[in-house]
Amino acid sequence: MNSKKGSILKNMTKDLVVEKNTQNEIVDNRSFALRVENLSKIYDSAAGRVVALDNVSFSIKKGEFVSVVGPSGSGKSTVLNMVGALDRPTSGKIYIDGIDIFSLNDSEIATLRNRRIGFIFQSFNLINRTSVHKNVKLPGIIAGMSSDDANLRAMKILEALDIADKKNQKPINLSGGQQQRVAIARSLINNPSIILADEPTGNLDTKTGEDVFDMLKMLSHKFKRTIIMVTHNPELAESTDRSILLRDGRIEKDVFN
Amino acid sequence: MNPKDIFLLSFEALVDRKVRTLLTILMVVLGSSLVVILNGLSAGQAAFLEKQFNTLAANVIFVSSGQRGFRDTSASNALIINTVVIGKMKSLPLISDVIPEYTGSVSLDSQGNTQRASVTSLDPTKLTVELPNLEYVDGSTVKPNDRSSAILGDTIVNPPGAANAFVTLGQTIKATATYADASGKTITVTKNFVVSGILKPSGNTMVDRSVIINLDAGNELLHKLNKYDAVIVAATTPDDVDTVQQELTSQFGKTLGATTPKAIMAVRQQAASGNAAFILMVGIIALVVGAVGIVTTLYNSVTERIREIGTMKAIGAQNTTILALFLVEAGLIGVLGASLGLIIGIGGGYIMSIVTTTTIGGGGPSVHIPPIFVPMDLLKVWMLSLTLSVIAGMYPAWKASKLSPMVALRRE
Repeated sequence: MNSKKGSILKNMTKDLVVEKNTQNEIVDNRSFALRVENLSKIYDSAAGRVVALDNVSFSIKKGEFVSVVGPSGSGKSTVLNMVGALDRPTSGKIYIDGIDIFSLNDSEIATLRNRRIGFIFQSFNLINRTSVHKNVKLPGIIAGMSSDDANLRAMKILEALDIADKKNQKPINLSGGQQQRVAIARSLINNPSIILADEPTGNLDTKTGEDVFDMLKMLSHKFKRTIIMVTHNPELAESTDRSILLRDGRIEKDVFN
Repeated sequence: MNPKDIFLLSFEALVDRKVRTLLTILMVVLGSSLVVILNGLSAGQAAFLEKQFNTLAANVIFVSSGQRGFRDTSASNALIINTVVIGKMKSLPLISDVIPEYTGSVSLDSQGNTQRASVTSLDPTKLTVELPNLEYVDGSTVKPNDRSSAILGDTIVNPPGAANAFVTLGQTIKATATYADASGKTITVTKNFVVSGILKPSGNTMVDRSVIINLDAGNELLHKLNKYDAVIVAATTPDDVDTVQQELTSQFGKTLGATTPKAIMAVRQQAASGNAAFILMVGIIALVVGAVGIVTTLYNSVTERIREIGTMKAIGAQNTTILALFLVEAGLIGVLGASLGLIIGIGGGYIMSIVTTTTIGGGGPSVHIPPIFVPMDLLKVWMLSLTLSVIAGMYPAWKASKLSPMVALRRE
């Protein structure tokens, strides 16, 4: 990762501290980690035209723990994929730290994912042939962090998440809960602006799922991390700061818990 | 991502699929070692032949009975070379010498040791006409009229790997030859010879492995019935060789074969260059097969690791990083395969040269022609193997780098 791309993203944030949104309202980007404006996603499939997202707009403040809920096919994962810059919308804009992420080219988007977004997946998505420690420091290595810095930071996070004793093990040898903790540790290594968690407890039993959820809550409240979590579990959703309910690609409810 | 980290990740990916990686490396090893072996043997043979012909005088012409064509191996029109024919040859212009020979092979016994050897039966004083640089060890004497004295080549006296000399000057050796009589019955002829002379290493394997005896002794031992096998005709000067060769052909027609060392060398070199082109083709085909193996392995690897690629992209890996990871994997396979291929090829070349020893002198002793490995040629094979491996890795690597992270993450 070169420093030039890093500086492009940095400067863009600096330049866009205060701007107008699509409704011509003044927006102070310093208070928002994420702004989604008029987001639509339409797929053309063999079955016909599918509107996965229909003009969705919302903003998330820094440090907020937001759950996105809704029935299957409501557009939860589509929103998360767009916010994570894994997919491009048909129309609409997404700002992370004031950066219009789809105005960036593929290389800059990769840099943005690396520096400003942390991903936690339902099925952990760890690299099983390498150690826990290396999995955690991998985004740091991609970011160009020195080996010493990456090692030190990965160890600190593993210690904070109480899993440092597993650092030399292969993820495949750990329990589901432990693997998800490793995935959380990996998402934190580059100190991202937003953590995106896609059904982080979906593959875990109730007790382990609650432990992982508590860990995310702790990160939000204690370390002021902005977390967006897609979940099917209404109890967990109610325990977040705010829940956005999607149905048929639209926001049906946006409530503070 | 720095090159060291890319290298380590690629290396780990290869180690993770040990068996498949080893099999792919083996394909490259087979390709590169085959090229190395064939090149080495070919270069060894070329050098061996050149060395043999360089020891020969430039003005000699080899004459044998009958011009044997590709389809005409019966030599039915062969001229029987006898003293009348020799006399006729001597009368031709621009000829300084005509040296008739009997040739064959014998079993030699000395102090309980036995070995096979070629026999050249001629006037021993004329040996230097054919081989001008020939030298004898101290104490040797040439006795052209002594039917019981023999001159031995260096390899017979000092067999490779033997601690002691097979025979020394003045000692007696027993030579045993066989022939089939008119009824087809095998007749054995045995004769004792005193070693009167020993040749210093001549560089000509045929001579170094020969027993030189005079014409009468050869006629008797090999049962030649005064029919010579070959004649060495020496032209007055090297410039006269072509004229003499033409004269011999016009006098004796196809009943007699006359050729010069230069002509033999040219034919051999032509055959060798044709051989080299064929060998190169075989080797390149083998390497291409290895490259296809790399494409298959890495393509499978991309398919199997599609979620991993998606994850890498999700956590910020650039397309170029993914491309580099897979290209380094291909490169590592290439480096290991090519390097092992060189080592195995060099070893295999020596083993093959021992296993496929060449027999010279019509049933004579076998000769080991060592392969020759030219460092620049080895480097070229190494580079070719590595380049093909990396090229083979390009398509799977490109495919991996272009994967959409969302599609890759969804794949089970």
